[in-house]
Amino acid sequence: MSTAPGVASPSRAGSLRDLRRIAAFTARRLVALFLTVMVGVYLTIVIANMGGEVDELRKLQIRSTVAEQVRADPAFADMPAEERNELIQRRVQQQIERRRLDEPFILRSIDYLQQAAVLDLGRAEEMHSDRGSREVYRIIVERLPATLLLFGTANLLVFFVSVFAALRLSRHYGSISDRAVIALAPSSAAPGWFYGIFLILIFAFIVPVLPAGGMVDVPPPDGAWAYAVSVLRHMVLPVAAMFISSIFISIYSWRTFFLIHSSEDYVEMARAKGLPAGMIERRYILRPTLSPIITSFALMLIGLWSGAIILEQVFNWPGLGTLLFQAIGHRDTPVIIGSVVIFAYLLALTVFLLDILYAILDPRVRVGIEGDNQ
Amino acid sequence: MAARPLLRVEDLQLHYRTRRGIARAVDGVSFDIRANEALVVLGESGCGKSSLAKALLRILPRNVHSFRGQVMLGDTDVMALGDEAFRRDVQWTRVAMVMQAAMNALNPVVRVGEQVAEPLRVHAGWSRERARERVVRTFEQVGVATDFLQRYPFELSGGMRQRVVLAMALVTEPELVILDEPTSALDVLTQASIMNVLKRIKREQGTSFMLITHDVATSSEIADRVALMYAGQMVEVADADAFFHEPAHPYSQMLMASVPRLRQQTEPAPIPGQPPELIEPPAGCRFADRCPRRFDRCAREPEPLRVGERHHVRCWLHAGSGGAGGGGRA
Repeated sequence: MSTAPGVASPSRAGSLRDLRRIAAFTARRLVALFLTVMVGVYLTIVIANMGGEVDELRKLQIRSTVAEQVRADPAFADMPAEERNELIQRRVQQQIERRRLDEPFILRSIDYLQQAAVLDLGRAEEMHSDRGSREVYRIIVERLPATLLLFGTANLLVFFVSVFAALRLSRHYGSISDRAVIALAPSSAAPGWFYGIFLILIFAFIVPVLPAGGMVDVPPPDGAWAYAVSVLRHMVLPVAAMFISSIFISIYSWRTFFLIHSSEDYVEMARAKGLPAGMIERRYILRPTLSPIITSFALMLIGLWSGAIILEQVFNWPGLGTLLFQAIGHRDTPVIIGSVVIFAYLLALTVFLLDILYAILDPRVRVGIEGDNQ
Repeated sequence: MAARPLLRVEDLQLHYRTRRGIARAVDGVSFDIRANEALVVLGESGCGKSSLAKALLRILPRNVHSFRGQVMLGDTDVMALGDEAFRRDVQWTRVAMVMQAAMNALNPVVRVGEQVAEPLRVHAGWSRERARERVVRTFEQVGVATDFLQRYPFELSGGMRQRVVLAMALVTEPELVILDEPTSALDVLTQASIMNVLKRIKREQGTSFMLITHDVATSSEIADRVALMYAGQMVEVADADAFFHEPAHPYSQMLMASVPRLRQQTEPAPIPGQPPELIEPPAGCRFADRCPRRFDRCAREPEPLRVGERHHVRCWLHAGSGGAGGGGRA
């Protein structure tokens, strides 16, 4: 038997060498991701401080606060004006030094970056958590479960419903339900909060069956069971609003995605081979396309962490979106930077995990990594 | 009858619905293939060759307008089978196919050996080990080293992939293998070695082939019978000897004259003009526009006329009273 002419034959290298390549690849990837995170965080620091502009505002604020205090304090009431001004000047200087506002912004921005890199998020300037802590970390972590619960439920629902509905539709291309979805896709042009307003109007006021906002009844019901039911009732409308606003476009785009991939030659070949429809779907459509599906799933998951500012406002939901909104209003830069830092780290971590997942899922990527150093 | 045909196709029709009208890709095609016979289907691009193959294996696109005719595979009336029965009893177990785009015919994320074994595991319900043994044997037949079983398609060269696809068609030992341009994307050496594999398998296993190609030279190596398609119809079906040496249809004659040969005195003569569109083809003979021997009767559509033993031609020149050979230009 003739050996094949012109066969691409990847050398079966020793597994040790493979391992070393994978380690090198991983290390390079980590460094690159870390640098990306640092660039993103630094940009946020500069922007949130308006390139140092905010410092001037802070100095003015300190000056007026201190002046107010000193003037209001009866102990200094009979002090000569000159002396009192000096006192104010001294105290302002103290405050400025304490908050290191006298150093150039560029130096402090580097300092901030170092702290952010080790996840030392510092203290908030104005805001505090409901329990009274001023630690940015605590403020954020306190709001996180509310956001994760609401957006996790809605997005997981949308993701799985749309992928499975899309698979079905791509099989019945051109059917009535397929056309209905295409016709309804533009409904996603309006954001979730838009539908939320109508849902509140209908189901909380015209037919008052569900609460209009908040996360739990006031006062919170006793007992874990009653509490959970109350939270669930409060979740129905915001989840429905998000579901309505994204389900059709999501089904539509997945359906198009599956349609494109179900006309690949190897899918046609599988059909010619007389394989059962379920097997074609699993093995020939889903499996080769698993990488992009997982990517979009993972990006959806980290998208949850940012919450949604307006939707949370409309439903009065105590999540990260509301927090960020308040932080921007208060110019509380540590809180703004803190949420960005957490988000950036999560994003980088997800991208890194995805790289590994790709290699497990797709043999072509695997070889790309193993052969990376060649 | 001494030799009952393995496959008999009678007046097969496959029309597509397109934006511009009905495309008659396969329009009243009749032919038969006997056991251990190789039928070569020749024709220019877009004449309906691939549609014919797809019609036989029922891999139809979504825009089919009409699909009818009679297809007998042995004693089985194929067109009467429901989709599920067809999938179970005919597809790949009795008729297999090597598709035109063999480069992409393999699933990129499944090992090659597993893909080739799939029909055995699905249709015959074989165990992994038993299927593997058969795959190894088939790989040897088509000239693929058995350590390729564990490879992924992207690790194989074009020629190897083509062989793997061929192995996939042969692995269930079907009675008929349809090959749609199996060598058109390959270099000449690989082409030749694949044709040799086909010849050997035909000799050793008695498999029938239907080879679709536009390459007259390669096809002549393996052909027992030749069918020439033009604008969705078969204009001539004949034994290979008869077709290559005394083609009866003017199109066949011009086609043979257009093929360059070694040690030939005359220049190859191209056929002027373009084939007609499959959407609303001209009434009457579809080749009339390009035919140097056109005459009055060509305005009416000719039926396949028998001109010899298993030799049919769609041309009025061969109708007894039509002035065979003497019509000249009208």
